[in-house]
Amino acid sequence: MNPSLEQLETLLALKRDERPQEGYWRNFVVDFHQRQHMDAVERTGLKGMMAKTSDWFGQFGAARWAYGAGMAYACATVIFFVFPREADKVVPAATPVKYEVLPMPATEQLQELDLTPEAKSSDGEQVF
Amino acid sequence: MFRPARPPDPDQDLVDRARQGDTRAFDALILKYGDKLYGMVYNMTSNKEDTHDLLQDVFSRAYQSLGSFRGQSAFYTWIYQIAVNLTLNFLKKRKRRSNLSLNELKPTGQGEAEFVDTTNDADPERQAQLKELQIRLNEAMQRLSEKHRMVVTMFDIQGMSHAEIAKILKTSEGTVRSRLHYAHLQLQSFLQDSWEERF
Repeated sequence: MNPSLEQLETLLALKRDERPQEGYWRNFVVDFHQRQHMDAVERTGLKGMMAKTSDWFGQFGAARWAYGAGMAYACATVIFFVFPREADKVVPAATPVKYEVLPMPATEQLQELDLTPEAKSSDGEQVF
Repeated sequence: MFRPARPPDPDQDLVDRARQGDTRAFDALILKYGDKLYGMVYNMTSNKEDTHDLLQDVFSRAYQSLGSFRGQSAFYTWIYQIAVNLTLNFLKKRKRRSNLSLNELKPTGQGEAEFVDTTNDADPERQAQLKELQIRLNEAMQRLSEKHRMVVTMFDIQGMSHAEIAKILKTSEGTVRSRLHYAHLQLQSFLQDSWEERF
């Protein structure tokens, strides 16, 4: 025979009156504050920093490590191609410079003429 | 649409003071809701030490997260949600542990002297009978799945409404009713033998 639903509910309802032992909460509160204090001390010290770092790494499973490694590899590849190294820079081919000798205007040529007697050759020709 | 105003949270003052660093205010919240949360966690884990550690984690998490508590729900609902989430996570981990010994589970009444029924002190025979039945009931409870055990604990033991349970478990009231119905059928079936012996 199964208990009826009412009987089952009555039985379950009895558990509402279950309580921890007298004094349990007083000890609980003391324990709570001790743990909070210890947490605070650990959070500020070197030990705490190491624990945090350890926790941080500990949170990553194998899949996340693989994902992180993949991302790092992708970043390195992008950096490699986007920012080429100095040695690999392509030097543009040298193009010949076209130097044209432009004739000076006749007046400027005349101004530069040295018409002093010393500048004349023996045959009376102007020496430049 | 017009939404009726939510009644003010009776714990708002204590929460505000705790936020400002008043540890006594937070102690008052622990004492106010400790029994309720203990009942839920203990009925889910059926282990005294686990219940104690889980409750320390629950209150610690709540204390450190008070700054992010926006008051969109009552403090009680908020901390109850924290307790439910931590308990379910804990049970998942415990399930995964392959070396879990059945001896680890100590249902109420089996060496749990501090968790006693205070209603029938006057009648030792009746008390003994109920205690025996409750051991069977606790064993039956542990045979339920976590989600079914949770709704039975919240509805039948903690006396919460379907709406409250649905809000805390972030599910619909229909789902809560359905789980409850199935869990009751299972419990009735599990208790069949011991019920026949006694009645």
